Amino acid sequence: MRRSARWWWLLLPVLLTGVTACGTMAAPQQAAGQSGSVSVSLTTVRTIRSVTISPGYARFVDCKGGDGLAYTASKGNKLGFPNGTCLVNSAIVITNTGIAADIDISGSDAEPADGLTGWTLCNTGPSPAASCTGHRHRPGPDQYKVINYDVFGSQRGGITDTPRCDRVFGPEGSCWARHLAVATEGLWLIGPEWSSDTSTQWTVTITWTPMPGPEN
Amino acid sequence: MHLRPWLSLSLSALVLLAWPAASYASVGVGIQAGPVALAGDAHPGGRYALPPVYVVNTGTEPESVGIRIERISTGTGRTVPPGWVSAASAPVRLAHAQSASIPLELTVPQTAARGRYFSDVVATGSSAIAGGGASFGVAAATDLEFTVAPGAVSHGWFGVPGWLPPFVLAVLVVTAAAVAFRRSGIRIRVEHEPVRMARGRGDDAS
Repeated sequence: MRRSARWWWLLLPVLLTGVTACGTMAAPQQAAGQSGSVSVSLTTVRTIRSVTISPGYARFVDCKGGDGLAYTASKGNKLGFPNGTCLVNSAIVITNTGIAADIDISGSDAEPADGLTGWTLCNTGPSPAASCTGHRHRPGPDQYKVINYDVFGSQRGGITDTPRCDRVFGPEGSCWARHLAVATEGLWLIGPEWSSDTSTQWTVTITWTPMPGPEN
Repeated sequence: MHLRPWLSLSLSALVLLAWPAASYASVGVGIQAGPVALAGDAHPGGRYALPPVYVVNTGTEPESVGIRIERISTGTGRTVPPGWVSAASAPVRLAHAQSASIPLELTVPQTAARGRYFSDVVATGSSAIAGGGASFGVAAATDLEFTVAPGAVSHGWFGVPGWLPPFVLAVLVVTAAAVAFRRSGIRIRVEHEPVRMARGRGDDAS
């Protein structure tokens, strides 16, 4: 008896640890009598906000403008300077494949193939995000402008580098789109007054984004 | 609004081109509609696991889906600095109709102002098409919201300090060793022998 009591203190920390945890292990006592339960499956609608663009890539064609005397006029699918214009070669089909949402549109800087000096987006209007600094509010040096428009209607809008409501998308100039709403848009690009980068291959990226709208 | 005459003429050509476009490869991305929200308050200096965000490739081609934090929606609250939220596993490569849940981690600096924070979690899809021309991107956004409250970082009501598991393990090992030693019958006796000091003659004379 005396010998056992001597090493019991060694087990004391173990017992204390067990007592600390025992509160989380206690199971509720079952009520007397029989109980029954039933499992009922439930299916919900998908709550995904998504958009799909087709095609994923296009080329600029039908370029016009520029200065013929300086031999910098647009030709075919080549943009001229100053302020030549081009259209994309195919209509862009934007489908709201998710729940109803506001569809925003934004654009990136135009990136030259050599990765050096790009062109920044500019806008016109009463409160442009970035003013076009050229003659008659056209794009200035290393600036460009993109206008998207409804190929079936007369709506059009400007594109900035931050997502803005795509008023071409929704009814009556709004950007609210219900599930599976489709817009068919074209793009019109106005090039810079002149470019400090001498690349002849440029890429612009236009992005559509479904956003939580006022109703969700 | 009225389009320029030349632009109007171009529309007819585009309308004809619109129908084949529907059969082209598409790019698409989706994100959960429910907001990404922290269950409790965050505190300056704390790190928190946000609920993982669900993303899906709704296009026809494989694409890389990334995550960024940006204030796009109109909502109330301070804008979440993008550096506070990290998605370690993004970008993810997803095949057509494939989805993924991307874990997000929130790190609140010690200097963070208290209050409600609001921004958007934006999933971006890219089909990695290179070359001159127009590349069309897709993105989808959902709300991100949490509140920073003053006070110490909370560890929950049953937090386990990092030092406790190894300490408990060490106690168990020592206890087991002591019991085993006790039962083995081995005994260690420590004997103490008094030191005998030699005495000089001077002492005897006294």
